[in-house]
Amino acid sequence: MNAPLIVSAVDLHRRYGEGDAAVDALDGVTVGFPKGRFTAIMGPSGSGKSTLMHILAGLDRPTGGSVVVDDVELGGLDDKKLTQLRRDKFGFIFQFFNLLPVLTAEENITLPLKIAGKKPEKAWLDELIEAVGLSDRRSHRPSQLSGGQQQRVAVARALLTKPAVVFADEPTGNLDSKAGDEVLQMLRRAADEYGQTVIMVTHDPHAASIADHIVVLVDGQVVRETPAGEADEVVELMKAVA
Amino acid sequence: MLAVSLKGMAGRKLRTVLTALAVVLGVALIAGTYILTDTIDRQFDQIFAQVRQGVDVSVTPKKLFNSDNNANPPAFPASYVSQVQQVPGVQKAAGGIFDNGVILDNKGKKIGGSNGAPNFISSDAPAPFNPFHYVAGHGPTAPNQISIDKYTADKQHWHVGSTVRVGGRGPAEPYTVVGIAKFGKLNGLAGAAIAVMTLDQAQKVTNKVGKLDGIDIKAAPGIKPEALVGRVQQALPNTVTVRTGAEQAAKDASDTKSGLGFIKTLLLVFAGVALFVGAFMIFNSFSITIAQRTRELSMLRTVGASRRQVLGSVLGEAVVMGFSASVIGLGLGIVLAKGLKALFKAVGADLPGGSAVVESRTIIVSLIVGTLVTVIASLSPALRATRIQPIEGVREGAVIPRTRFSKIKTPFGAVTLGLGVALMCLGLLTNSTGSAVWLPLLFGTVLVFIGAAMFSSKLVRPIASLVGRPMESLRGVSGQLARENATRNTARTASTAAALMVGLALVSGVTIFAAGIKKSVNSAIDNSVKAGLVVENKDGWSSIPQSAGKSVAQVPGVGNSSEIRLSQAKVAGVSGTPDVSGVNPVTLPSVYQLDWKKGSNATLSRLDGNNAIVSESWSKSKHRKVGQQISITTQSGNHATYTIIGTYKNNVHFLGDIAVTNTTLARDFKVTDDQFVMYGLKPGANPDQVKAQASKVLAAQYPNAEADTKSGFKKTQTEWINQISAFFYVLLSLAVIVSLFGIVNTLVLAIYERTRELGLLRAVGMSKRQVKRIVRYESVITALIGAILGTVLGVFFAVIVSRPLAGEGFQLSFPVGTLVILLILAGLAGVLAAITPARRASKLNVLEALAYE
Ligand SMILES: Nc1ncnc2c1ncn2[C@@H]1O[C@H](COP(=O)(O)OP(=O)(O)O)[C@@H](O)[C@H]1O
Ligand SMILES: [Mg+2]
Repeated sequence: MNAPLIVSAVDLHRRYGEGDAAVDALDGVTVGFPKGRFTAIMGPSGSGKSTLMHILAGLDRPTGGSVVVDDVELGGLDDKKLTQLRRDKFGFIFQFFNLLPVLTAEENITLPLKIAGKKPEKAWLDELIEAVGLSDRRSHRPSQLSGGQQQRVAVARALLTKPAVVFADEPTGNLDSKAGDEVLQMLRRAADEYGQTVIMVTHDPHAASIADHIVVLVDGQVVRETPAGEADEVVELMKAVA
Repeated sequence: MLAVSLKGMAGRKLRTVLTALAVVLGVALIAGTYILTDTIDRQFDQIFAQVRQGVDVSVTPKKLFNSDNNANPPAFPASYVSQVQQVPGVQKAAGGIFDNGVILDNKGKKIGGSNGAPNFISSDAPAPFNPFHYVAGHGPTAPNQISIDKYTADKQHWHVGSTVRVGGRGPAEPYTVVGIAKFGKLNGLAGAAIAVMTLDQAQKVTNKVGKLDGIDIKAAPGIKPEALVGRVQQALPNTVTVRTGAEQAAKDASDTKSGLGFIKTLLLVFAGVALFVGAFMIFNSFSITIAQRTRELSMLRTVGASRRQVLGSVLGEAVVMGFSASVIGLGLGIVLAKGLKALFKAVGADLPGGSAVVESRTIIVSLIVGTLVTVIASLSPALRATRIQPIEGVREGAVIPRTRFSKIKTPFGAVTLGLGVALMCLGLLTNSTGSAVWLPLLFGTVLVFIGAAMFSSKLVRPIASLVGRPMESLRGVSGQLARENATRNTARTASTAAALMVGLALVSGVTIFAAGIKKSVNSAIDNSVKAGLVVENKDGWSSIPQSAGKSVAQVPGVGNSSEIRLSQAKVAGVSGTPDVSGVNPVTLPSVYQLDWKKGSNATLSRLDGNNAIVSESWSKSKHRKVGQQISITTQSGNHATYTIIGTYKNNVHFLGDIAVTNTTLARDFKVTDDQFVMYGLKPGANPDQVKAQASKVLAAQYPNAEADTKSGFKKTQTEWINQISAFFYVLLSLAVIVSLFGIVNTLVLAIYERTRELGLLRAVGMSKRQVKRIVRYESVITALIGAILGTVLGVFFAVIVSRPLAGEGFQLSFPVGTLVILLILAGLAGVLAAITPARRASKLNVLEALAYE
């Protein structure tokens, strides 16, 4: 735990609705993510995992508390700056619908760079596409790819800009276990080989066990922060917190 | 079932409103047209009833045939009055004059301008025929006195004692106003200016000494007007028409109204265009809505709704939407009627007003047409909706099964297109006139549009790449996504663009056609007119008194001159009433070179009272060749037979289809006024200086005549083209606006469909501005597809419609600059259409968009 923190949140609150119907999706979350590490955010459904990830990634704003990314306080940024931050510093992998149907696999991968008006580095692009095993699928459209392949395109896209942080929200939730494993392995390699910080939301103990570190959320609060162990240890852990 | 649809409609407010707007505008134009013309008609009915008040029987010169340019039939001898007075049962009879004149305003210009409301000279009538009711002063009793209608007097700030200059056939002369008159309750006659003179003076200034334009008769007590009509007719030659006063009023009104019938038809055609464009939009909107509701409809089918119920629910939605839109359109029509009146006024036609007349026919036609168009346009999407299977549609990404039709759409479109072209040709090549021409032309055009729209989905990709590539290289990913989005559903883009295509085709067709006419007129004048100076009526179609032309001949620098006159004739055994020109065979060659087909200037010198030359096109279409004889009847009731001794190419109808000498025209047609007079210039004379001099001479005495240099003449001969094109543009812009709403609608619907994609783009770092760009470029691409297809069709229409005119000197001309500007405007219109949708797209909340289903 001696690596410097790249993302840190202090006393985050996120309330939905008002009055009696109000829901506190996050209820005082203080958490830090060390640079170059792979962290899994775990917790039962509805515990606030996605909400936390969205707020950390600048996709949503907290109703209380603050987030600092790479020494920048997100609260002080307007929509334009936040958009830029996402473009330049973050990579995203969602559970469903990661790709634009009108673009080819390769175009989807280079999308964030193109949005920024930059050209991809050819060698790095080739290496990434090779690494995610899509060399022969470059010009296929998403509708011509399997779910696992689509998700791997999303991983490549998230890594292409060499972002400070890769956020993944249930990236394997929609895949069978083999395809899911491939995606997880890729994220692991991103941390190990490219020194990437990965923050992954999951409720699957097997997926979480591949991370370095686990943060467990229950009812919008962090109940445990622990180094990840084997899958069965994580299962035990989840049972313990439940 | 319908309730589900209607709830959905309420939930999709923006698109419902946008879709309905197309119908609203079209119906508003229909209703506005009817309301405007009905209002005018009623106004005329009242006016003429008022004018003929107190008249039991009326005698007017008989119109022997109806000609295009409503020339007044010649006056009859004043001696008829005494003949009428002999008829038993006639208590009183009085003759009168009612003719065109020129009344000058305080600045010395004709009241209302050259194309405005007419100016009339009327004789004062004794009681009980006098329609005037003096609110100040009295009727004229001396030659130098006039009374003026109250409407004009108020406008010009004239009162009893004012001096006003009035001219008839001769120069304008000053008169003293001795009375201000109303017509019963009306201040004036539909905006016309009327100067009332003593009968003698009116006869004198209208060049009708000893003649009358009409006789008013009062029946003796106990005698029915109807009974008197026959007796009066017996007493007079059959060159006059005898009617009861009421009949005559109705006839006058209907004559005037029939002149306006053309306006009604024209406006209804534009309404039709707007609705036709609207139909594309309705079709589109319903198609997209059905596609988006696939799941919902499939679910309904799963829980037991029948196909028929699905069909009923979609059509029910169409009926409700069409009907509500029609009701709103009807209301808007009342406002629009005023706008149309203003539009006509802007192009120089001041129509009479009055409170809006809404006939039940207006209401019925508006509501039925609006509803029917909506239902017909939604029929195909509704049928498509019935093909949605239960369960199937509920699966992720389900699409409606393709209909059998959609597979043969392209060839079918091509066939429709061909059929349309064939129909158009049929209409253009026929020898007959009227509905035999315009019906096939109209249906042909509609088929061409529908065929082109069906076929065009095949052209979406190539055109999108053509216009999209530059955007892509300039704007990177936004441009690329815009192009990809535009080609994602080619059928949808095609039918969205088709609406704009229709408008643009008509606009560019009109533009090319107008440019062609201009070029033809210019080159015809360049090639034939040798004169340096031309004098004609400012309105461009009325005649001018001979003395006007003569007065200019005295201007220093002016050389020889030649007069060209105009009348109409009915030719035995031939349809139509061709224009007959009168020329001076001796002087004509010095100012005007005929484009001879058979003959030469030597032929001209053989022209005398027994022969005529005719235009080649008339000769051909009416089968009257050189050497043959034609028997004609003139408007004055004379009959004559001429031998055809030559033919000329009637380039841009500079002359009539038949030409005789001016002497013959005076003998047989009783026409002695000039249509225009052309003058040669003395060597060394400066045309502009001569023109200035001539204008001065004319302004002093003949304010409605104007002198022009040859180049100025070219301009005035083509000015009307600009005016008419402008008028067309304004009305066509309605169709273009409707089609822009179509683009807005499609974009809004597309954005709604692509919510998640937009959310994703925003999540991975796309700025709001870039999102807006995607939408904007897609809009521009769609607009340009429509504009390009439209321009191509416009060129095609102009070429095909002008083919038959080639023989009359029509030369095609492609105003490339203007067409390019049209394309640019279409692109800008695309930007405009994208404003709201782009804003919507950029305002999407990223998280909600991502979670959106
Ligand atoms: N847009 C929203 N409006 C209202 N409540 C929400 C919204 N998004 C999430 N919630 C609520 O916040 C809580 C946390 O949601 P989420 O972060 O999605 O949980 P997780 O990803 O752990 O399943 C849940 O109770 C959920 O119902
Ligand atoms: Mg979640």
